[in-house]
Amino acid sequence: MPGRPLSRRTTLGSALAAPLVLAACDIDPPVRESGASPGTPPPPPDSALVAAVVTELVRARTVLEAATVAVPSLAARLEPVTAAHAGHLEVLVGAVPEADLPTPEPASVPSRILPALAVVRRSEQRLLRAVREGCLGAASGDLARVLASVAASTSQHGAALATEVTS
Amino acid sequence: MSAAVLDALQATLAEEHAALYTYGVLGARTSQSATPALYDALTAAYRRHRSRRDQLRTLVEEADGTPVAAAVAYALTGQPTSSIRVQATALALEVASVETLTALVARSSGSVREWALTEAIWSATWQLELGGTPRTWPGAPELD
Repeated sequence: MPGRPLSRRTTLGSALAAPLVLAACDIDPPVRESGASPGTPPPPPDSALVAAVVTELVRARTVLEAATVAVPSLAARLEPVTAAHAGHLEVLVGAVPEADLPTPEPASVPSRILPALAVVRRSEQRLLRAVREGCLGAASGDLARVLASVAASTSQHGAALATEVTS
Repeated sequence: MSAAVLDALQATLAEEHAALYTYGVLGARTSQSATPALYDALTAAYRRHRSRRDQLRTLVEEADGTPVAAAVAYALTGQPTSSIRVQATALALEVASVETLTALVARSSGSVREWALTEAIWSATWQLELGGTPRTWPGAPELD
């Protein structure tokens, strides 16, 4: 039972920016009623949810960058996680108005490898919780599927970080 | 629960019947003494999929459906006669499971979506026990 394929960058961003496109899909709910005037299209129902997930992804990316600076020997290990989050952001960020894009706080990461990895793992767990929450709250089935994939990817990378021993 | 959700549940249940059959075959072809880690990984996965099948049957019945029955046998991809091929077959099964479950996520809401998401995350993460590596888009390969 494969999911309804999404073209890579048609993408979620453009789909969410035009809710009628999603409303035409049989797996998505109808557009909600809105009190907005006819000339003011309502915001897509999931835009705030996507913005929250993007904020968490940007925060997690900041932690990864700080960990790489604090412990340069971690760069190779963290690169796959960074690349995955970059892919997730590339798909999701188009759905967030530029003005709403977050400016993350600088992250503080210890300069020793094991404590640094612990900070990264906690950050990834926080991200996973946020993506799960977004998936469960999404009105769009397509968005829920994308966020389920992001959650699955984040869990995979977290497990890989947890099982590798470094001293 | 809508007919679309029921259809998705039935499709997922049909996939689980096939997965359980496959894991049964893979377990029978795996030596607990020669490859204990693989044996343990297959056993844990079998138990998880059995629980998943049972939960799907319950969800279908709660949606006033009649759970789709298992086939007598299923065709296996390739000939999993070596431990390497057994592991690869199990890994492919979990990759396919994530696709099936993320599709159920898309078609459902509420508690069914939450359950499907939890199972999708489990199957994705268990791939690492079967020699897999983390992916950017598990369950949505067209986005890779």
